[in-house]
Amino acid sequence: MKQNVVIIGGGIAGMEAANQLQLLGYNPIIVEQESALGGHVAQWHKLFPDMSVARDVVGRMSKSIASTNVFLDTRVVSVKSSRSHYTLSLSNGVDVTTRVVLIATGFGLFDARKKEEYGYGVYDRVITNGDLEQWMNGCADSRIPESPRSLGFVHCVGSRDLKAGNNQCSKVCCMTAVKQAIEMKELFPDSELYCFYMDLRLFGKKYEDFYINAQRDFGVHFVRGRVSEVGEDIDGRLCVKAEDTLLGKPLKIHLDLLVLMAGMVCHPQTSKVAEMLRLDVGNDGFFKSRDNLANIQESNQDGVFYAGACTGAKTIPETLAEARAVALRIHSYFNNL
Amino acid sequence: MIDRIPSGFHPFVIPFLLGMAFVLGYCAFGLFRIIKQLSWKERRKLAVSLITPETVVKNIRDIFCDCLFHVKLWKRNKLLGYMHSSIAFGWFMLIVLGHLEVILFVPKRINLFYYPIFFNYFVAEDEITLRGSLLFFLMDFFLLVVLSGIVLAMIKRVSSRLFGMRRTARPSFLNLVGLYALWAIFPLRLLAESFTAHISGGSFLTIPANWVFRQFLGNELNMLPTWWAYSIALGVFMCVLPFTRYMHIPAEMLLIPMRNAGLKMVDARKGFTRVQVLSCPNCGVCVDACPMSANRANLKDCTVYLTRQVRRGNERRIEQISDKCLMCGKCKEVCQVGVDGAQLRLMQRARRQYGFSPDFSNLPQSQIISSSSQKNEKVLYFGGCMTQLTPAIGKSVESILRKSGVDYEWMDREGGICCGRPLYTAGRTREAEQLVQKNQEIIKNSGAKVLLVSCPICYKMFLEHYDLNDIRVVHYVPFMLDFIASGKIQLIQSEVSYVFHDPCELGRGCGMYDEPRQLLKRVAQIREAEKNREMSVCCGGSLGSLSLDFAQREKITRASLDNLCGSGADAIATACPLCKTTFSRYSDRPVRDLAEIVDELIIDN
Amino acid sequence: MTDFGFSISKSATIDMDAVDMELYERVCRQVPSARICMSCGSCSASCVAAPYSGMSVRKVILALQRGKDVRTMLSNCMLCGKCSMACPRGVNTRNLILTVCRNL
Repeated sequence: MKQNVVIIGGGIAGMEAANQLQLLGYNPIIVEQESALGGHVAQWHKLFPDMSVARDVVGRMSKSIASTNVFLDTRVVSVKSSRSHYTLSLSNGVDVTTRVVLIATGFGLFDARKKEEYGYGVYDRVITNGDLEQWMNGCADSRIPESPRSLGFVHCVGSRDLKAGNNQCSKVCCMTAVKQAIEMKELFPDSELYCFYMDLRLFGKKYEDFYINAQRDFGVHFVRGRVSEVGEDIDGRLCVKAEDTLLGKPLKIHLDLLVLMAGMVCHPQTSKVAEMLRLDVGNDGFFKSRDNLANIQESNQDGVFYAGACTGAKTIPETLAEARAVALRIHSYFNNL
Repeated sequence: MIDRIPSGFHPFVIPFLLGMAFVLGYCAFGLFRIIKQLSWKERRKLAVSLITPETVVKNIRDIFCDCLFHVKLWKRNKLLGYMHSSIAFGWFMLIVLGHLEVILFVPKRINLFYYPIFFNYFVAEDEITLRGSLLFFLMDFFLLVVLSGIVLAMIKRVSSRLFGMRRTARPSFLNLVGLYALWAIFPLRLLAESFTAHISGGSFLTIPANWVFRQFLGNELNMLPTWWAYSIALGVFMCVLPFTRYMHIPAEMLLIPMRNAGLKMVDARKGFTRVQVLSCPNCGVCVDACPMSANRANLKDCTVYLTRQVRRGNERRIEQISDKCLMCGKCKEVCQVGVDGAQLRLMQRARRQYGFSPDFSNLPQSQIISSSSQKNEKVLYFGGCMTQLTPAIGKSVESILRKSGVDYEWMDREGGICCGRPLYTAGRTREAEQLVQKNQEIIKNSGAKVLLVSCPICYKMFLEHYDLNDIRVVHYVPFMLDFIASGKIQLIQSEVSYVFHDPCELGRGCGMYDEPRQLLKRVAQIREAEKNREMSVCCGGSLGSLSLDFAQREKITRASLDNLCGSGADAIATACPLCKTTFSRYSDRPVRDLAEIVDELIIDN
Repeated sequence: MTDFGFSISKSATIDMDAVDMELYERVCRQVPSARICMSCGSCSASCVAAPYSGMSVRKVILALQRGKDVRTMLSNCMLCGKCSMACPRGVNTRNLILTVCRNL
């Protein structure tokens, strides 16, 4: 009989791991709280650096695990652990017994309302990176004007911010902002685009090319300074204040749309899952790996493993690599039992 | 009752006399110095109040209520109230009755200072009279009262938790000497009077004790040593009194008339401030009350330690304590004596030397163009600096003004000049005054009749330091209550339950407790936190503190949130941009300003 | 002095070898959070005084480290506390300003 592996979370990490585990001869079971697989990525439009269509990527992945057991709209309610087994009670009434649990719960998008000074939820013309991706995917959004003349992107919203409770860099926002700025410029060629950044952290393969493209071909303006407050005119235009830290002068600009690059924070269910499985959580709120170098996928509990952004902000390639690696790690775990 | 000692003197009274002479001399000199430190104006104020019948009556009443009966303490904590008033009032009555005895029985000795204290040693009972028995009974009764207080004090020393105090101030060495001397006085008095009771007479305490002692102790042999011990205990207590917390006893008797005369603290150390410092009884109520003491942090930075360091002259610690304080004013609220901890610190901050001071003369003066006056009175809305970072508040206030058809102008929509309160609380009063002048001019030139404020920090500043002629300064809460009363806005009732957090500057600062609750009740369900109103716990974000760092503030905020969330409300309501931002960081439930809540529930016509 | 018809301009280079860090170190001892500024500019962006005197806590911290004068910037600071609210690193900007003013 095939060994069960319960995967909590049906995002790209969970799906990729399920696929690999299946190929290795195991019986992965995905528990997903939403009504569809794909997690955050399924909500997005195009993925850097190759501008792949997110839906296609997720579609291909879910096709590869078509025969896998997937429980949608399901949560883990409680966990009973014996010496070698975990018995997970699911919200759909099913009890699953397994030797291995894979945590692939991913991250949560920072709630931009917490940064009230940026006016998300207060002003009509402020949206987040997530909102913009969904709009590009065809969801109507009344906050986005017909033909905006000027658009701003605020980097590091809820990242690198002690006051927002997240000290870490979210890794992908700089690149996302550059990508979205290019996409918006393509949609609105007459508009001016401004990226307000603290440091441009474009570390990945081809990221720097995007930066050069954005500067050279799309004329995106990069302002080195964190936006501190956003006001609103009587006609609804936004007045954004920042400092041009390179010139050392305060700066203000009127914009028709402001996109906040909400960062990656721990998934809201992290502490609950951690409590059920008695897992350690780091002071950043993410699951705590045994170490952050060679044992990122190991937890403090025997038979419980991590994959993807549940242990910290990750890019898609990093997440997929981890998902594949964890499948092998689980394989060797079973072999050593 | 006859004189037993013809000379009317015995050497054992000398320790008492020395102590008494010392303490009286010290107090007289201190009083002289303090009066000298007062300005001519203050002195006149004090003199006038001391001959005005109303204030005289008030002074006497306050001295009786505060110093002897500890009425405020009774209201807060019955056990503590009894402990303090039994000692204070009991002792007072012993002194009064002692004098009465001398007047009634040996009137020729009335000029002898020590006679009422050691009466029982110097007299012999020749016949038992009703009057004598009554007096002796009262003497024993009040001695018992005092003794019961002393026993409670001993218990409190061992376990303050029994008295509902989690933490108390740690006494210094001299305070301990004074404390033990005080504790010794009354048991020794009981012993002394008991050993003499077969000669001088006594009542229900002393006579049986005398009888018991006679069974196994020679009374004659023990009589003098106990009277010596009693006198020495008194002498020691009085000699250390000026250097211990017991200085609060004479100081408070000066504090009350000075406060009733309307004197204010104007110097960091001298005059009225000195009296306040000396009046601190070191009871330590402020330790538990201080919001900084959350998680057992900053325990030595509350007011009781400030007054102690001021008395010791430890400048480094005085500065540290003064700079750290959130200036929330809670210690004053709980203080039985009314020591104004925040003001003490403010004076201290104002004393600091600066090598550089800002100058605001280059700031633009008039930004508001007075629009032509329409038939409605024009309202000038001042959001304040903090509101720029909490746009939901400003936007909601504006929306409410628009919906109620008010002719308004937002003075600092694009940013303006600070109200001056932050500079003022940092002790830079002269610099704050410059900002006041600038804003005052802008406001006066705007042609507005009402200055509407949404930030309680600014509100307090406008109320206390601005001279705006006939322009009315209002906080938006009563202003909106008026809108509702006059029907300018109609509201739907929401099912959400809110707990209202009293911002320090609005509640303790401006005394506005009821209005926000009235407003909240109009639109939502209201729950109360355990510590609310005057006892509200500072959010930890206060600009009052200069040196508290972010991590320390977090603990304070979390403790304050625990207090609010204990009410079980769905959300937290407040009326201060700073409180809102601070709470939002760590709160598990929504934190909203009253303006936002109200604006959302207005029925659109 | 003889006028040669030209002048020599002073070097604009910050000579880090010669910079006196005494004041910066003294301020940091009293306000340790001064060390963790990441120069994001939030403080200056929200600053009420910045448009008038070029006030910027970020620049003050930097100037102290490079031995430059900070008086002009500080001359309009109203101590309103917006900078300390806006700072994502929790630098105690108000105490920093007061401490610098005391030590100038």
